[in-house]
Amino acid sequence: MYDPKVIAGIARAQAAYESRVREILAEAGIPAASTQSGLPLKTLYTPADVGDLDYRRDLGFPGELPFTRGVQPTGYQTKEWTRRQVVGIGTAEETNARLRYLMSQGQTGFSVCGMGYANYDSDSEHAWGFVGRGGVWIDTLADIETLLDGIDMRAVSVNQIGSSIPVFAMILAVAEARGIAPGELRGTIQNWAEPGGLGPARRGNGSVDILEFCARHMPRWNSASVSVRNTRDQGCTAPQEVAFGCFLGAYSLAAAVGRGLDAERVAARLSFFLSAENDFLEEVAKYRAMRRLWARLVRERFEVTDPRSCALRFHVQTSAINLTRQQPLNNIVRAALHALAAALGGAQSMSVNSFDEVLATPTRAAATLSLRTQQIIAFESGVTRVVDPLGGSFCVEALTGQIEEAAAALLGKLEALPDRDAFDFMEELTRDEAYRRQQAIDRGQVKVVGVNCFTDWPDDDADQPRIEPLRYDPGWRDKQIGRLEEARRRRDPARASLARARLEGAYRARENIVSPMIEAVKAYLSIGEIARAREAALGEPFRPTTWNFGR
Amino acid sequence: MRVLLVQDSTGHSTGYHVVARALRDAGIEVVLGGALLPGQIARLAVEEGADAIGYRIMDAAPAILVERLAEALAAAGLADIAVVVGGIVPREDLGRLAALGVARVFQPGATFAQIADGFRALGGAAAARRASRP
Repeated sequence: MYDPKVIAGIARAQAAYESRVREILAEAGIPAASTQSGLPLKTLYTPADVGDLDYRRDLGFPGELPFTRGVQPTGYQTKEWTRRQVVGIGTAEETNARLRYLMSQGQTGFSVCGMGYANYDSDSEHAWGFVGRGGVWIDTLADIETLLDGIDMRAVSVNQIGSSIPVFAMILAVAEARGIAPGELRGTIQNWAEPGGLGPARRGNGSVDILEFCARHMPRWNSASVSVRNTRDQGCTAPQEVAFGCFLGAYSLAAAVGRGLDAERVAARLSFFLSAENDFLEEVAKYRAMRRLWARLVRERFEVTDPRSCALRFHVQTSAINLTRQQPLNNIVRAALHALAAALGGAQSMSVNSFDEVLATPTRAAATLSLRTQQIIAFESGVTRVVDPLGGSFCVEALTGQIEEAAAALLGKLEALPDRDAFDFMEELTRDEAYRRQQAIDRGQVKVVGVNCFTDWPDDDADQPRIEPLRYDPGWRDKQIGRLEEARRRRDPARASLARARLEGAYRARENIVSPMIEAVKAYLSIGEIARAREAALGEPFRPTTWNFGR
Repeated sequence: MRVLLVQDSTGHSTGYHVVARALRDAGIEVVLGGALLPGQIARLAVEEGADAIGYRIMDAAPAILVERLAEALAAAGLADIAVVVGGIVPREDLGRLAALGVARVFQPGATFAQIADGFRALGGAAAARRASRP
């Protein structure tokens, strides 16, 4: 990219400058700087720090391999990122009302949390205290019908958080009732393959069933939104987020190939769900590094030739771990910076966490403010007019390389392990980092405004802006149980028991479970009944794991 | 002292694991119970002979779960075991939790040292109570 002679000259001058900097810092007792993730940082970057970059090979053009600079040739000029605030409150009625309100205010995507997270019905003792709090509660197809009421499934892309197969089947059943074929639907399901061997051993694995069903019937649906955002929010670092994401993505792709599916086709519908944290420059570099690493990985390992199948597309939900219960309005500023990093990093879709989410499910006003944050960045800041505007910054390019290198090394380590050990290792690393983060905050090594510095604003100070968090309605549970009972009363009992028998048979035969599940939910079997049918058929007790209930 | 740590769900469990490690590092014995129903928590507390229960509640309604736990503990003969709640507790629930006998509530912002000291103080009180029994 640069003339080696020029670079050598700069490097000599830079060495002199850096030794001066070291002296000044040592005199002032200032330790060497690092990113939030612990990558070494210099005081200044020059062309000598990125002198070995080959522009065409390492950066290229947006829309072209290796996609470092973005996946769309025109960036946001022709395709805005989807405004997709997460919604999930009370029963399907409250969530539908919130969704429709946000859509009237400019939200362009559907994203609902809580759907099928529990494998029990609302009238079970397991649901006590839960209904309507950690997202919407879903029991039967009647709830998804209400949830999607008045929402044009042809116009809006539907994102399913969690990979509950009953809920996925309910979404398809609602579409079918509206005359929309699966092939027409645009949307995403949070999904990735879990450990379980390859080839025939993978039969009966719900995550691969989803990949297979989508590859065969839903060409416009993202069959795997690989979530590392929640892992990041559990504490892991930026390079770990990249490495874990690439590991899970490649693992899912290999599982799909093992099921006899075409890598190119599955890869084209694989997407990612990433976080956006405090360290602004590191975050922007992270998205760029991950695009480059993923593109090369897919191309080299899976011999995929269509560049579109190598493009890393991602949704960002801004960080929650960086938000504070203390002085909650500060979170507005934090989330705006997180969102700006995501925009500069080229996200395809975004959800900005609300400032009061540290206290309860966001109020309608706070959720609207999050949407406005996205709109202000998109329409007022001007950063959307140029693609990858921070590309070419010596610092951002150097960080992009550092993150890619650290992530590639970790990815290699993960892939050298047996698959179950690799999954355990990711969890272990994440917990170590979470522990370190809290220690660093407790010791004041990491400053958190309002928590360990600038705290002189007690909760009860009259001058503190008044925050009214959402109050949960204890009536939601009774209302939901009423909805469940009505669905059970109205259904055809013969059809329900037939569908249950068919479902159990499919589980036992280890068939792809999606089609029998669609029949089961259309017969208004509840999620609790479906889970019990699965347990009866497989003889395995329900074992909860985060975000992938309902298998 | 021996602390039984439990949670209301498997999701949002970063704090649960981080606090478990902090307590262990502070020399407190920790039994990880995982996500359990209130009745299961009481049974496990008896089996493990726990001195205190740390209950992480992030997804469900603290007042509802703690009320059920208090009933289950009373039925199991553990009415005086110390219960500590961790998580985000709505302000309007704090009074109710205190009335149900919750010894301490640790919300975001609590340091490892504060949490460990809080449990240790309760452990001391539990030992004194045991010693004073005939």
